[in-house]
Amino acid sequence: MRTPDEVLMTSRIRSVDAFLPLTPPMLHALLALADGDKHGYAILKEIARRTDGAVRLSAGTLYALVRRATADGLIVESDERPDISLDDERRRYYRLTPLGRRVAAAEIARLESIVEMARAKKLVPRPKTT
Amino acid sequence: MPERPPSWPDRLFRALLRAFPFDFRTDHAREMEQTFRAQRREAHQEGSMTALVRLWFEAFRDVFTTAPREHVTILVQDVVYALRALRRAPVFAASAVLTLGFGMSAMTGMFTIVNAIMLRPLAVDRPEQLVSISNRTGFPYGLSFLDLQDYRQLSAVLTDAVGYAPQIAALDAGDGAERTTIEMVTDNYFSVLGVQPAAGRLIQPNEGRAPGDAPVIVLAHRYWQSRFAGDPAIVGRSVRLNGQPFTIIGVASPSFGGTETLVRVAAYVPAWMFDMFSAPTADSVLDDRARRLFTVLGRLQPGVSLAQARAALGVRAAALARDYPSTHKDVSLQVVPETHTRPNPEIAPFLRVAAPALAGLAALLLLITSANVANLLMARAASRGREVALRAALGARRGRIVRQFLTEAVVLALLGTMVAVPIVVFAMRALQDLIAGVSAIATFEPDFRVDVRVLGVALALAIGAGIVSGLAPAILAYRTDLSRSLQGGGRGTAGGSGSRFRNTLVVAQVALSLTLLVSGGLFVRSLDRARNIELGFDPDGVLLASAAPGMQGYDSVRRLAFYRTVGDRISALPGVTQAAWISVPPLGITFPRAEVAPDQRPTDPDWRPPTVYTADVSSDYFVTARVPVVEGRAFDDRDNAESAPVVIVNEALAKQFWPDRSPIGRRLTADGAMLDVVGVVRNGKYQNVWETPRGMIFRPLAQGGSPFATLAVRASRSPSGLAPAVREAIRQIDPDVALYDVRPMSVHLDNGSAFFIFRVGAFITGVFGGMGLLLASIGLYGVIAYHVSQRTNEIGVRMALGARAADIIRDVLLRGGRYALIGIAIGVLLAGALAQMLRTLLVGVSPFDPLTYAAVVVLLLTVSLLASFVPARRATACLPRIPARPRSKSRRAATIGFPPASQAPPCARMHRGTRGGNPGSRNNRAR
Repeated sequence: MRTPDEVLMTSRIRSVDAFLPLTPPMLHALLALADGDKHGYAILKEIARRTDGAVRLSAGTLYALVRRATADGLIVESDERPDISLDDERRRYYRLTPLGRRVAAAEIARLESIVEMARAKKLVPRPKTT
Repeated sequence: MPERPPSWPDRLFRALLRAFPFDFRTDHAREMEQTFRAQRREAHQEGSMTALVRLWFEAFRDVFTTAPREHVTILVQDVVYALRALRRAPVFAASAVLTLGFGMSAMTGMFTIVNAIMLRPLAVDRPEQLVSISNRTGFPYGLSFLDLQDYRQLSAVLTDAVGYAPQIAALDAGDGAERTTIEMVTDNYFSVLGVQPAAGRLIQPNEGRAPGDAPVIVLAHRYWQSRFAGDPAIVGRSVRLNGQPFTIIGVASPSFGGTETLVRVAAYVPAWMFDMFSAPTADSVLDDRARRLFTVLGRLQPGVSLAQARAALGVRAAALARDYPSTHKDVSLQVVPETHTRPNPEIAPFLRVAAPALAGLAALLLLITSANVANLLMARAASRGREVALRAALGARRGRIVRQFLTEAVVLALLGTMVAVPIVVFAMRALQDLIAGVSAIATFEPDFRVDVRVLGVALALAIGAGIVSGLAPAILAYRTDLSRSLQGGGRGTAGGSGSRFRNTLVVAQVALSLTLLVSGGLFVRSLDRARNIELGFDPDGVLLASAAPGMQGYDSVRRLAFYRTVGDRISALPGVTQAAWISVPPLGITFPRAEVAPDQRPTDPDWRPPTVYTADVSSDYFVTARVPVVEGRAFDDRDNAESAPVVIVNEALAKQFWPDRSPIGRRLTADGAMLDVVGVVRNGKYQNVWETPRGMIFRPLAQGGSPFATLAVRASRSPSGLAPAVREAIRQIDPDVALYDVRPMSVHLDNGSAFFIFRVGAFITGVFGGMGLLLASIGLYGVIAYHVSQRTNEIGVRMALGARAADIIRDVLLRGGRYALIGIAIGVLLAGALAQMLRTLLVGVSPFDPLTYAAVVVLLLTVSLLASFVPARRATACLPRIPARPRSKSRRAATIGFPPASQAPPCARMHRGTRGGNPGSRNNRAR
């Protein structure tokens, strides 16, 4: 957990736009947390599952990411734990903060606008509406 | 659930995690192990060995990409924090940066010189393959042309070998002859070295070999730029070299600076044309195995070691010694990498003493600097005790805080590099100009440029100096009593050991500074002694002007006519008392010698003819130079080319050959010629000022026929004022003769072998000494000021109880004096040891010269006491005096301590000014 000293040393107030663009691993991690608290391994598994194995993060990358996201205030360590019978007491869980939620949403919106531009230029086809 | 003992994959992964920073591991190692364990379990369940192998592969790759990034992130955080902290203390930061910059500039400057002379590879193709093939047993260290051709045959070990020899020549491109250094090169010089032409073409094999071949010349790129403004139409033009026409066939590439280390050549000429530049003799210079003119570089065959080449070349050398015993009896071959013979084997012994000595002095200066900055940082660390305690309470590890302090120190040092590098660039340019002014005889033009290697060393020095400076305050911060710091607001620092360390530092600074000052003082005394040595002639009021008509193809008749006409014309100029010629002025770069023997040789079979100095002089030389003729006569018009050959000797030679009778009327042989002795002159200094009296013979210019000579003009007014008139007069007589080194004799002595080395040594050590003194006094001031600031309450109590300001000041002075005296005592021992090592560089002065040591000790004591007095005075001036009517004890106590800020603004300023100040006082004031 980051000490207040580290928060002191590195904290700065940034607007949502200052975080963009997010790196793909960071965006995936924030998305993974969007629907509930998870521990590190669960985040890895969800990302691999959602991308059909295309994005596989390693432990080092993930926790460096977690560290940076915590420093930036995008996620926090969660106090809640699932039922002790389901969970290994020792795991640490992370939660998306309101700022993190806004940043993830902003990144998605940014990507959407790029996709819209590509569609306008007929680079990619519009999805067929049924 | 009890924890299972870790399995080997767990242990391996845990070991991998050690690559991550400590904080990262503390926070996430357990999670990462858990995650990796879960991933391994999954791979096992899949039953796929490939998946497991890929998992481990990814783990390794991940660690080695992510871990360094994390380290860098933390480093960046520390650097940003350090910069922010420094921005809040600009005065402190500026003083630390400037101090470090000065200290590092000395070492960086020394390295720049060493790099230029000894380390930087030649700007040629694959310079690491080049070896120097030379004569080990002294001057001349070159090889003859024919020997070079023999060694070139050894194709088993050498792909080829090149030879080069510098020559002074007068180059006339149509606008007057200019004295230049040209390089005679073998015809494979450019091809073996891999040099490309920037314009035209370069010398081809066998070019200029056949008699009647058109003489060709290749210009050096820099010379082409400065003399011909880089005009591409220069190719094909004709120039005159010593009066002979040469065709410019091309220009060398801009990156090629030649193969000489210190001498900048203007152009390259095929060695086949050598005979055009030497005095005409029967045989070609190139055919004479005794003329060892060429510096030789061989290129090793790929895969051949230096030892193999040495062996093969040694065999050939032995064969040559057998076949040509008369010319090769004192030749011993030396084969070493090219970089080992810079600038040339002659100067190398001097450099071997001077370079480490100067580097050592520069290192001392850097140490003093680092100690000074360490003191600054320690004072600052002491005042930041509260900040440290707060951070520790907020969860910062001590290790992180220590690293923070170290980072701050290194950042300061790196900023100091930005100060040091411009200083070095400026100093090197000044040094280059100084050296270039030495003489036009050997166009010294070293390239002391600050290149990548120098910058690398500067950065390494910065990091080293930063760590050295930052270590003590970092340890101080580590040992801080945190609870006391939080309560006492910064005064609870490890004052005991911290202060002791600072005091030790200051003592060390004083000691090192004394060492530097004594070295500087000894060199200055050397210079002074050198200047006062009796030279045997009177240099004041003499202008020199040198010419070399023989090198421009003038035969002896024409030369003598030139000397006579010029001598007569100059003597008649207004302001001129006398004018006379001497072949080489004394105390220049070098002096010619000859072997002499008396008419009756001693019977001792072991007696060998001594080598003495020799010079050709015109008839009024002794009068012009004010050299007393103690016996016989000087030369006059009787002594010409048709009359009997005569000689004048000095007292030393007269005593050596004819100790108990007059030499007048006796004869001696010089290099085989029999001469009648007609006079004896007073001894003088000829080669350097510290030589013991050596034999010297003078021959009449009309009989010696020197191809070059220097005119000595004694003036009734300032010699430099005469220079334009002398130049013009000579130009009118013969515009083709290139005149050089037209300058007063005093300048010649300063720039020649007389005083140049002393001047440079005195300058450098003097500068170092001055900087060391400044830094030591700043250090002492800082320590005393800090000491005083820590004891303001105590001083206040004492004064309130009746102590006078004078007592307080005396106590502080005693304290400062104690540090100074201890430092001085240690410094005297160090200085003595260093001076003993520098003994060979001093002249006329003992390494333990009492006057120098005494003067330096007095200087240091005075400066130390002054540095102690100032803070002491300010402290006593700020504190309250005893009230006129004593009040009760408790109220008296209430008056102790700091006056409110409104009453004593100078005190507040003073305490802010002591580096780091005393935040405790701010707390007291708030009460």
